[in-house]
Amino acid sequence: MTDVTASRVAPIKGRWQARAAPSRPGTLYLLCWFCGSLLLAFLVIPLIALATHQSAQNLGEVAGIADVRDAIALSLEGAFLSAALAALAGVPLAYVLARTRFPGKGVTAALIDLPLAVPHTVAGIALLMVFGRQGVFGEPLQALVGLKFWGTLAGIVVAMLFVSAPYTVNAARIGFEAVDPRLEQIARTLGLGPWRTFLRITLPLAWHSIMTGVTLTYARSISEFGAVVILVYYPMTAPVKIYELFLRFGLEQAAAAALLLLIVSLGLFVLLRALAQRGVPASGSR
Amino acid sequence: MSIAVAVEALSLTLGAVRLNKLDFRLGRGEILVILGPNGAGKSVTLETIAGFHRPDSGRVFLGGRDVTALPPEQRRVGFVVQNFGLFPHLTVAQNVAIARRAGRAAAGHDAGLPPHGDPEALLSYFGIAHLAHRAPAGLSAGEKQRVALARALASAPDLFLFDEPFSALDAETRDQLREELKSFLRALAIPAIFVTHDHDDALALADTVVVLRDGAIVQSGSAAEIFGKPANSFVARFVGVENILPGQVVAASDGLFTLAVGERTLRAASSANVGSPRHSILLAVRAENVTLLSSRVAAESPGAVNQLQGHVTGSRTIGPLVMVQIDCGFALKAYVLAPQWQAMKLGQEGTVLAEIAPDAIHLMSE
Repeated sequence: MTDVTASRVAPIKGRWQARAAPSRPGTLYLLCWFCGSLLLAFLVIPLIALATHQSAQNLGEVAGIADVRDAIALSLEGAFLSAALAALAGVPLAYVLARTRFPGKGVTAALIDLPLAVPHTVAGIALLMVFGRQGVFGEPLQALVGLKFWGTLAGIVVAMLFVSAPYTVNAARIGFEAVDPRLEQIARTLGLGPWRTFLRITLPLAWHSIMTGVTLTYARSISEFGAVVILVYYPMTAPVKIYELFLRFGLEQAAAAALLLLIVSLGLFVLLRALAQRGVPASGSR
Repeated sequence: MSIAVAVEALSLTLGAVRLNKLDFRLGRGEILVILGPNGAGKSVTLETIAGFHRPDSGRVFLGGRDVTALPPEQRRVGFVVQNFGLFPHLTVAQNVAIARRAGRAAAGHDAGLPPHGDPEALLSYFGIAHLAHRAPAGLSAGEKQRVALARALASAPDLFLFDEPFSALDAETRDQLREELKSFLRALAIPAIFVTHDHDDALALADTVVVLRDGAIVQSGSAAEIFGKPANSFVARFVGVENILPGQVVAASDGLFTLAVGERTLRAASSANVGSPRHSILLAVRAENVTLLSSRVAAESPGAVNQLQGHVTGSRTIGPLVMVQIDCGFALKAYVLAPQWQAMKLGQEGTVLAEIAPDAIHLMSE
């Protein structure tokens, strides 16, 4: 499961070129292309079907429903907070994992991947036990600061974060590991303290990977259903709303709302990816 | 020469590397080359001097300050690594401008040097002002070296540290950059420690060579000493002495030795105190100190010393030289200029006479 993340976040240079470019396409490449095309078609055709199934009128109608708009907005908001929290806590964790050795490091790295292997309904139930009314965190947090995780945005964020944080941690870790420690050492000898070195050398160089991971966390958070639906049914995020529409009104309405969510989340995903590609804040290079 | 840098009894255990009471001193502008095989602790030594590892014991003095307890950013060392370690996300000018002069005022630098706080002046000094807005990725190795030096200089260093900067370069570029580096270091008069496993680096750059093995100094001295009079067979092999021959002392008096090597007897003039008769010793003879004579010519000088007749068993052209392998009871290698080798008349069955001057034989006890 680590590999899945890794292959999605690690940028492969010259990805369209075979290493030793053969003068004519070999059978191997043709076969690979053939198999790959099947998968690509499998991934894309359902989305195209979803998109072409709808009339613009139908889409407009669904977009006019306040519940649907609210659900999509709630999804975006929750995913944003989830991605922000993942970045805030996950990037430091990734940095220690990339740069230090400590007992139990292997176990820690495996733990981070755990949510990817756990069915999300299971994750939801586990979270309920911790953040629910009688939960280890849920009960005292409500008693002390009035923070509730059931029926609130906080609960949605918790559920989203649990299933999507690994993407940020793993991608950031790969990004940090790719930064030559020698560059950090040189920065130190040039008079930059550990903080300045991190902010001016390490972070900018790992920026692309970190943003790729945060983008994946964001996307995964928007799409999360299982954990959210168990921990927080109301207020409804978009996937929950779509499920409800499907149960109550059937395919037509659900599909229209689904397309709407798809358009919004794909648009954001493309935008975020573009931002990540730009890379490197605070370096002022170029 | 006043002491600019001193490393005193530096010891450190770090994973598999164990530095054992390293001791050396550098004067102003002196270049010290630490020579040793991979795993000898060369890089760890540099990193400890730079402040990345706290030594278990020992002290480091830079520019008269005890820096043993200081973090790297307060030590004022210029660190240059393999491939020069330019920050890839910054332009050349930004690479140089990022340096902060830890605790040192911009004024008061040495006369003739560009002001440390002025990146433009630094780039001009190294003749690379035109590269200021380029990204490091597109630079040649020579340009990268100049940027790395300019950047290191920007932090007003008391010492330069070089960790095998040339090890990824081809031989020709390496020669060129070595010469360039040497002239820059001479002009800057800042002491430098240069770590390498390439003895050509040591020969070309070093005022002093320290040979490191398993974290301990095996020998230190001038390049001429290390290469001409290696302390033991490890150093001899490492600095590329082609002939290391086991022998026995037959007689020794006044620095004149009579030695048995296989069935042969050789004379050596050596100041080395390598023991009395019947002691086993090692002879180190550089291939360029073995002279080959056409066997017919030399047979006419019966009184000659250390003339060995042997068969040529092989030859290999290395640039303008030919490395000739001879079997004269033991294997011996000799360098001959290529035209001389072509003109040489070999005797029957490829025999040749090899001659070694007594003072070209260096004796080692181990």
